[in-house]
Amino acid sequence: MTGKRPKPLLWLAAAALALGMAVNAGGALAQKPNPLPDCFKPWDENTGTISYPEREGPFRVALANGFAGNDWRIEMIQSLKAWARRAENAADIAELKIVSTGTDVAAQISAIDNMIAAGFDAIIFIAVNPTAFTGVIKRAKRAGTILVPFDNILDTDEVVQLNEPQLELEGTKARAVVKHMVRKSGKVLEVRGLPGNSVDRDRSIGMHLVFDPIEDVEVVTVIGNWDTGTVQKVVADAIATHGHFDGMVLQHGTVGAINAILNAGHDIVPIGGDGENGARKLMAKHNVPGASVTQAPAMSAIAMQAAIALLKGHELPTMIALPLPYVLSEDLEEGVNYFPDLPDVINLGSGFPACGTALTAAEVLAETAEDE
Amino acid sequence: MSGLLLHLRQNYGAVLAITIFVILFVVFLSLHPRGPSVYVMTTASNTGAALAFVAMGQTLPVLTGGLDLSIGSILALCNALASEVVNGSPERVALGVVLVLLTGLACGLINGIVVVYGRIQPIIATLASGAVYTGLALLIRPIPGGEIDDVLSEAMTYETFGVIPTSLLLIVAVVLLIWVPFKNSVLGRGVYAAGSSEVAAYMSGVRVDRSKLAAYSLAGLFAAIGGLFLGFQTFSGDALIGVPYTLNSIAAVVIGGTSLYGGIGGVIGSIFGAYILRTINGVMFFAGAPPLAQPLFEGIILLGAVALAALRVVRIRNRLEVMD
Repeated sequence: MTGKRPKPLLWLAAAALALGMAVNAGGALAQKPNPLPDCFKPWDENTGTISYPEREGPFRVALANGFAGNDWRIEMIQSLKAWARRAENAADIAELKIVSTGTDVAAQISAIDNMIAAGFDAIIFIAVNPTAFTGVIKRAKRAGTILVPFDNILDTDEVVQLNEPQLELEGTKARAVVKHMVRKSGKVLEVRGLPGNSVDRDRSIGMHLVFDPIEDVEVVTVIGNWDTGTVQKVVADAIATHGHFDGMVLQHGTVGAINAILNAGHDIVPIGGDGENGARKLMAKHNVPGASVTQAPAMSAIAMQAAIALLKGHELPTMIALPLPYVLSEDLEEGVNYFPDLPDVINLGSGFPACGTALTAAEVLAETAEDE
Repeated sequence: MSGLLLHLRQNYGAVLAITIFVILFVVFLSLHPRGPSVYVMTTASNTGAALAFVAMGQTLPVLTGGLDLSIGSILALCNALASEVVNGSPERVALGVVLVLLTGLACGLINGIVVVYGRIQPIIATLASGAVYTGLALLIRPIPGGEIDDVLSEAMTYETFGVIPTSLLLIVAVVLLIWVPFKNSVLGRGVYAAGSSEVAAYMSGVRVDRSKLAAYSLAGLFAAIGGLFLGFQTFSGDALIGVPYTLNSIAAVVIGGTSLYGGIGGVIGSIFGAYILRTINGVMFFAGAPPLAQPLFEGIILLGAVALAALRVVRIRNRLEVMD
């Protein structure tokens, strides 16, 4: 970092860092406590905190989404809008801007840069890539824009970010499967997500943490790409190859897996799956034991809630672990945690009661995915 | 004056692309709440830079009448490699940059060899080699991360002399130092000749093979520059970063007025084609277009641009008139 290279940039970086520290220090003086300690829980004991100077509302806020082409993302946008529409939240929001930029990281960086330039107070975003935003974070800090990444966690402790703990999410599914397995031995099928993705990696680790210590269980892994159709195919193939499984843990595509099981004439085994309405319908209909755990799209609303708390001068953990919304098979109840009249593809458990936002499915579905 | 007119006529596609870009960019700036500030200009310049480099690269195989479907993978491989080697001491950084550029060049050369000596259709050849390059990129960087020298990254993504976006200077430098000399060389003329009529070029003694090899190699080099630049923007590497770039580069080439049949066009049009695609996004962003309808608008503008570029051919009653 020394020697013949241009110095002015180093000075600039140092100045920005100093400015950032000053901002933080200024915030520390006027700092208000975490408004919802049960909702904005620190990730672990090493998680620090951040606060910014208090500002006057109402605020101009934005969501910079990346990829937009699936139901989860659309529900995520709908949830944010439904949350922002509620009177108690609408009072804090002068403008809510929503954009989706696709899978190109350069496009998302530029969208956030444009928002920073346009003077937004806070921007929440699902990063296309967990490592690409170092420069953006610096520029946001310089401009005084608060960033709150969620769902896809970045490798930084300079902003507040939130997600459901992925190890725990997949662990919850796995433990429910173990609990319902008649014999604690045999083969268990693991259906992974998209290769090369850190969420896929973390969930797989969470699953293996539960099953690896059980000596008589062999874990068979297949790749489902988080796509229900692909999952149905790979589960059918796995059943054809291995004959029998004693349990299945799926990152996504439970509907496909249950269909594959029924088509193959395989007996019903414990399943730890996702939180889609269709998955719960099938689990209830065929008495599938296990658990349905949701990576809740409504975390967009919680991310915005956190951003507004930060704008109001509250102190929050740098990394927030949201409470996991899940339902065990024995607690499945029609009209309460699954809905025969609603589309199969919606993700249930969209409310985070600990955060004071239990959005109803109807409330979410009333919104369009458009920017207004 | 007639020389200028002839020049404009010969570069109809590029002139059209520049015109469309200027109009779009003026609209973008008028919609932007901040207006034309240095920050906004730098953001705009950085946004399109990687795509512009890849589009420049794609132009060359297209000029020969071919196509490079591996270009996004080469970009990703170079980006992943950069996150391993472009860090540490200044000497190491410099060496790393050279290594990344050479890797891109080598990937392009391999494409060229498969196409020219393997006599395989460029689409199939580069589809296959692209899968290989993606595999290599995933081996180097299974999950996104790594490190790219931040001093160099900031120098490349901020402004020179405080006002001129460095990425813009980089594009101009690449055009002046690589494209212009190449276009005026025998090899470069051969690229155009091969695309116009490979048989006629061969009969006239043009070393078609060499020109094609050069075209694919340079495509790899340009993709490497694009991958490096994405690294400067993100300070890191990602093996899957190139996925949107292959098709977008072809779109940029077409918008820029290069004929997919080969022989007509150039990288200047492609650069503006890339920036047109990016500016459309920016315009829709501030115009408040529904985010899910964005690909629809992009498609419509792409169709419009291609249709405008094709107008010249529609006016010609006899294909032989193209020759005069």
